[in-house]
Amino acid sequence: MISQFFVLSQRGDSIVFRDYRGDVPKGSAEIFFRKVKFWKEDGGEEAPPVFNVDGVNYFHVKVVGLLFVATSRTNLSPSLVLELLQRIARVIKDYLGVLNEDSLRKNFVLVYELLDEVVDFGYVQTTSTEILKSYIFNEPIMIDAGRLPPLGPAAMFMQGSKRMPGTAITKSVVANEPGGRKREEIFVDIIEKISITFSSSGYILTSEIDGTIQMKSYLTGNPEIKLALNEDLGIGRAGGRSGYDYGGSAGSGAVVLDDCNFHESVQLDSFDVDRTLTLVPPDGEFPVMNYRITQEFKPPFRINTLIEEAGSLKAEVILKIRAEFPSDITANTILVQMPLPTYTSRVSFELEPGTVGQTTDFKESNKRLEWSLKKVVGGSDHTLRAKLTFSQESHGNITKEAGPVSMTFTIPMYNPSRLQVKYLQIAKKSKTYNPYRWVRYVTQANSYVARI
Amino acid sequence: MSGHDSKYFSTTKKGEIPELKEELNSQYKDKRKDAVKKVIAAMTVGKDVSSLFTDVVNCMQTENLELKKLVYLYLINYAKSQPDLAILAVNTFVKDSQDPNPLIRALAVRTMGCIRVDKITEYLCDPLQRCLKDDDPYVRKTAAICVAKLYDINAELVEDRGFLDALKDLISDNNPMVVANAVAALAEIQESSSKPIFEITSHTLSKLLTALNECTEWGQVFILDALSKYKAADAREAENIVERVTPRLQHANCAVVLSAVKMILQQMELITSTDVVRNLCKKMAPPLVTLLSAEPEIQYVALRNINLIVQKRPTILAHEIKVFFCKYNDPIYVKMEKLEIMIKLASDRNIDQVLLEFKEYATEVDVDFVRKAVRAIGRCAIKLERAAERCISVLLELIKIKVNYVVQEAIIVIKDIFRRYPNTYESIIATLCESLDTLDEPEAKASMIWIIGEYAERIDNADELLESFLESFPEEPPQVQLQLLTATVKLFLKKPTEGPQQMIQVVLNNATVETDNPDLRDRAYIYWRLLSTDPEAAKDVVLAEKPVISDDSNQLDPSLLDELLSNIATLSSVYHKPPEAFVTRVKTTQKTEEEEYPDAGEQSYSDSPARVAESGASPPASTANPQHSAARQPAAPAALPDLLDLGMDNSSSAIVPVDQPATPAGPPLPIVLPASSGQGLQISAQLIRRDGQIFYSMMFENNSQVPLDGFMIQFNKNTFGLAAGGQLQVPQLLPGTSASTLLPMVLFQNISPGPANTLLQVAIKNNQQPVWYFNDKIYFHVLFTEDGTMERSTFLETWKSLPDSNEVSRDFPASVINNVQTTLDRLAASNMFFIAKRKHANQEVLYLSAKSPRGIPFLIELTAVIGTPGVKCAIKTPSPEMAPLFFEAVETLLKS
Repeated sequence: MISQFFVLSQRGDSIVFRDYRGDVPKGSAEIFFRKVKFWKEDGGEEAPPVFNVDGVNYFHVKVVGLLFVATSRTNLSPSLVLELLQRIARVIKDYLGVLNEDSLRKNFVLVYELLDEVVDFGYVQTTSTEILKSYIFNEPIMIDAGRLPPLGPAAMFMQGSKRMPGTAITKSVVANEPGGRKREEIFVDIIEKISITFSSSGYILTSEIDGTIQMKSYLTGNPEIKLALNEDLGIGRAGGRSGYDYGGSAGSGAVVLDDCNFHESVQLDSFDVDRTLTLVPPDGEFPVMNYRITQEFKPPFRINTLIEEAGSLKAEVILKIRAEFPSDITANTILVQMPLPTYTSRVSFELEPGTVGQTTDFKESNKRLEWSLKKVVGGSDHTLRAKLTFSQESHGNITKEAGPVSMTFTIPMYNPSRLQVKYLQIAKKSKTYNPYRWVRYVTQANSYVARI
Repeated sequence: MSGHDSKYFSTTKKGEIPELKEELNSQYKDKRKDAVKKVIAAMTVGKDVSSLFTDVVNCMQTENLELKKLVYLYLINYAKSQPDLAILAVNTFVKDSQDPNPLIRALAVRTMGCIRVDKITEYLCDPLQRCLKDDDPYVRKTAAICVAKLYDINAELVEDRGFLDALKDLISDNNPMVVANAVAALAEIQESSSKPIFEITSHTLSKLLTALNECTEWGQVFILDALSKYKAADAREAENIVERVTPRLQHANCAVVLSAVKMILQQMELITSTDVVRNLCKKMAPPLVTLLSAEPEIQYVALRNINLIVQKRPTILAHEIKVFFCKYNDPIYVKMEKLEIMIKLASDRNIDQVLLEFKEYATEVDVDFVRKAVRAIGRCAIKLERAAERCISVLLELIKIKVNYVVQEAIIVIKDIFRRYPNTYESIIATLCESLDTLDEPEAKASMIWIIGEYAERIDNADELLESFLESFPEEPPQVQLQLLTATVKLFLKKPTEGPQQMIQVVLNNATVETDNPDLRDRAYIYWRLLSTDPEAAKDVVLAEKPVISDDSNQLDPSLLDELLSNIATLSSVYHKPPEAFVTRVKTTQKTEEEEYPDAGEQSYSDSPARVAESGASPPASTANPQHSAARQPAAPAALPDLLDLGMDNSSSAIVPVDQPATPAGPPLPIVLPASSGQGLQISAQLIRRDGQIFYSMMFENNSQVPLDGFMIQFNKNTFGLAAGGQLQVPQLLPGTSASTLLPMVLFQNISPGPANTLLQVAIKNNQQPVWYFNDKIYFHVLFTEDGTMERSTFLETWKSLPDSNEVSRDFPASVINNVQTTLDRLAASNMFFIAKRKHANQEVLYLSAKSPRGIPFLIELTAVIGTPGVKCAIKTPSPEMAPLFFEAVETLLKS
């Protein structure tokens, strides 16, 4: 069981502090923050999520730049505590619409009320927004979402969280619209995060898709929902072996998941028969299903890197990216990065003539080349030439001291796995009842790396 | 209600408290509610608003739940400091606990349980009794947790009022939330009680397994964790349990998955059918891999657990090595853990792939990660004989990039590879020598010097190379000095020419006369004596064949590994430390699980565990592994310790002859291992001080059916480095007999890092039983030396010379001094010496001094009113970090 829960700002200010058991001294927030800020043990710069100081165990996760922390004195399950911290963040976001320092401070009374229902004497009671609704009496005070910086999907990496991607929905599930009327709508997002490592010759070394079907329901009366996926969806690789020995299945066109898990509200009775999921969605945002795929898929981007030495103190890097998805789809917020040799002193860039929306930069502090592209249309190529000047002679093998090239991007309405929501059925008798249904696909780079 | 809650944080110009008081007593409900919110706001930012207690409590009688909750929040915070006023709230609490609204009933017991004031507790019992049998499940589940709260405040009350039975009844409740909370409460109570309260029978087992399917995810974790203590009767039952738990692996909540994995692993021990086991391993792999798709924080926990699982059952993830390849954007703590697992899963089949990855990592930006990757290559070379050559060629490639820290790290691992495969890869020495002048880290330097010394006969200019290091000999760190000394001796023995002869003169002179490092000096004298008396013998010793080292990537001791595996999905499995090493909560129950691990063998866990938990992150315990320690004393790994022992016997009085009369007297010793836990062997023990020497006074009682013999003892690392100073002398113990012994102890042998504490972990073995582990306590005063007395003037000077920050004080409210002289005599018997005393008003002020080993003085000031409880102890010392231990000792002494 946990002893305390608190939320700290990036500067270490305690925004929320709740003591559940009184067996950990009050100064724990300061001790924790100092330890995390000056973490140098074992040489690592970043503190691990679980550590022990003077008999007190500290657990923390980072959510939208805030530190969610719990303490305990007992040998409890760390994954339980870390999951709990993520869930508390999600419940608060469900209630407040937006989770940040400002909204927490404005709603501290509500937050304390929530914390008292979520945890009792250190034991988790419930983290379901749906169940909590019957016990919570404070109303959220909305902060002006217009003043917020756009919470685009690219921001999700800053949040350091997989399951709370910025779905750009900043609406509280409990507060009413200004007009007093709630809009009937349901969002289903298929979010796929892809990781690929290309070898220097362009061959795919590893590839993986981490997918989530995320749902956020604003439907009144909690009607039952039926979600149909690809009928030929397969689960589990034959033989349970890793690597590229799934050959046949890739050719047949079926989507094969390595493994998947489901939210507890999901009924799987007909899943084995016709791949449909039945559920009564609780309020709030939640993952209906998480899945993992190592089946081969077509990478959306190919990266080509060429390094040419020009004398002992100069070299040229030519970066070429090719978008290998259909031309009616556009990727956005693309960033290509490449570490350069530490003795690089100057870089001059040359873009293709007539390009718009592209910027280049050489980050002096960590010797990194950055190339950002606002938009890339499917089927197009883009090239960047960078001329490097060195402050000392290279050791003769620049490729060993530069790279790898990594990319981040977001591609809306595209998912490489081809997993689909075939239909989304809402069971409600009335004929006039026709709520908005949003099914959206988005693909994001997780670790997208080309070695050179 | 308008505006934002944050307005409550703003301060008004006028006195804040009087204004709030006024508003709290307003006739308007909304105004009162706003006022309470302001009070809470002030409270959360740490302002003292306790003076408003009565006014806030007056707002409690309301039907408005929002307001009621706020008042309760306030009450929980301030009741402790205002116990007399808290009583005012009791009536409302009792009334609320019978309210028609179940939320209010639950809220009342929940809040009362949080107020740790005796007078409130008394009134809690009746409402709690009712709520445990309430019609509403929300009230019952709240009441279940409340029993645990009450047990924490007053255990006797819980037992007397029969709440434990009520709680046990709730296990059969029809609401799964209630069941889960009852299980959680019972598990906690069991944890702090020595009596068997919550024992899982096959009946409760099947009930709980059924409840499992209906519980919330959190309840599932409570239940799985409670059930993991259950031992199945046979393989069939184990298979049954596993079958019912396996669906949990599909859960989206990682905590449920890990707890299920723990449960399955535990039952698997009993399952005999290899088919079933293989099938289970196959089922566990995908969910374990899926954990690595979670947030990085969860990944870290999963990886630390997987690290343990693959040590026990490597087959589970043998084919999944790719999922442990590091991602570009993994946090460093995840990358480090992945590397560790990659090494563990590396095999002849996948080594090429793995090496390609390591090579890539070794050119990344993060220095620590790069170093670890280079080490990983070396460890694979040592682990996989057939891949060693490929590993070495990768290392040589990396050396050619000439990145300083890569080169140094590579040299360190190549030294280990030379030890592992002697006379195989020495052709690369020339390449290594090229990087000689870039070395600036002690470990790399020491490794290179060891290589030069070891292969002096193959390196033409070995003498020149060594000579270049000798110039800076006095400035080098001890690690390098020791290596230089040994390497020079090796060189001389291999090439007894003029050059080396001069060098050895210089080195021996430097290492004996010019140094104050005892290790270096002792080693130099031994070499010196050897060389001067019998050069042939010196050769036999210094150039002796070295035992082959092995891979350390399975570095955990088997018994420790088993203990950690039984703690999968707990903190213990993240720290890789047994729970008792970091759980500070006093546990009165004795562990009975020990019976499960009979194969502990010779090894006690003296060296392996204790390193990781302080940090949470985990380097391999590399200093403890064989090749490193061997490499540090490459001269004569086998012979050297003997020589040193001989030397010590002659010069040191620290070791008392082992045939010391074994006659401990005085009060009975505390039992450290009860017969119930020790399969009939009972051990009582305590550290004592006698004639300036520390002893571990022990008594062994054999209540088992067999004679026990071959007793051995080992101590884990501890703050003071206490270790056995001789053999444990215990004769064969026939059933029903007992024996006492005094084991001489020495200090500063294996000091544990980290903050000072009094934990002494002991392992005892004999020829008939498994290894027993128990924890004892080091009483600091046992360590006070006889020479701790001080002149008045010295005392004053020392007191003044120490900065005020070194002064620490503590009150012992329960201690009492009835007679000054008696107290002083008692303290003097523990080497705390009286210096002076004075009177201050009606208080007696005593000044004393004591000295802990290594001559650290403690200056003590005791202030007390004679015959009245309450002693204040202030101390000043150069080591204020020892103050908590010191106070504990003083308190013990004042009590006795």
